[in-house]
Amino acid sequence: MNAWLVVVTVGVGSYLFRLSMVALAGRVGSSDRFERTSAFVVPSAFAALATSGIVAGLSGYGAGSIAPLAAVGIAVVAVRRTGRPQAAMVAGMPTLWVLHALLPG
Amino acid sequence: MATTTAERTYARRDDAAAGARAMVPWLLGVAPYGLVIGVSAAQADIPTAAGWLTGLAIYSGSAQVATIELLDAGAASLVVVATALAINMRLIIYSGAIAGYWRGMPRWWRGLAAYLLVDPSFAVGVDRYQRSGDRVGAHAYYLGGAVALWVTWLGAISVGATLGARLPAGLHLEFVIPLFLVGEVVARLGTPAMCRASLTAVAVAVVGCSAPLHLGLVGAIVAGIAVGVATPRSRR
Repeated sequence: MNAWLVVVTVGVGSYLFRLSMVALAGRVGSSDRFERTSAFVVPSAFAALATSGIVAGLSGYGAGSIAPLAAVGIAVVAVRRTGRPQAAMVAGMPTLWVLHALLPG
Repeated sequence: MATTTAERTYARRDDAAAGARAMVPWLLGVAPYGLVIGVSAAQADIPTAAGWLTGLAIYSGSAQVATIELLDAGAASLVVVATALAINMRLIIYSGAIAGYWRGMPRWWRGLAAYLLVDPSFAVGVDRYQRSGDRVGAHAYYLGGAVALWVTWLGAISVGATLGARLPAGLHLEFVIPLFLVGEVVARLGTPAMCRASLTAVAVAVVGCSAPLHLGLVGAIVAGIAVGVATPRSRR
């Protein structure tokens, strides 16, 4: 399979994933159960994705993993203080850059 | 007083524009990420256009990165397909969570809306669907945000693929999305149930980070949802 075919295959599979439950709508779950479950999808999915991205970053930084961990810590504090999700990037990225410049590794 | 067709059209446009505006904070996060993916597509040992096509066909950052990197590393095609689809299994969960809101919409609309379904469009769309108000307006809101995301994403990948290696690695733009997701999660920690769901997902994701085919990710999402749903209503 060449690169083009791989990309198209993954694309078709991903689209079928997206469409799967939408196509089944009307046959799955009660409304109450649906509402209760969907409320937890975003926090659970985003927490898992963020963790996986941060852990992947740590393995790449080696001894310099202090910088990304500190950036995450600062980001959490910034969002808790401001209540704005964007504060995580605004506070976290400069922290990452400054600590990478100051700390070797 | 009866609402005219023109008034309804303007109202839908306003809803779509509101959805696009709600997507702006996400765009600030995904644009650098798209740039990074475009750069990696240009540097990988595959046709740059095939790397760009991942944006159009797969339309999901982490699965695109996995596809490009694994193809670049010379991995077997089946391994690439299995890994990327395993990462995208969360889309089934999103599909299930949003399906009820799209019930009764025409098949072509659901087909288009499903194609645009990815983390940011799901988050922005569900936020609007969970508010009270007219459902038709919420559909326009979802599409407005989702199309803004799609255009920005493909544009950023195109710019990254054109810039190639000229983007300094020292910017660590790959860290923008994890930080943005941290912000989205922390801002939602308003109830004990949300805290439990999020912390469970974090814990399972850490434990499962070395699981094959990124199955730890799906396990973490399912565990978080299960813990959130299992939390007694009185403690939510």
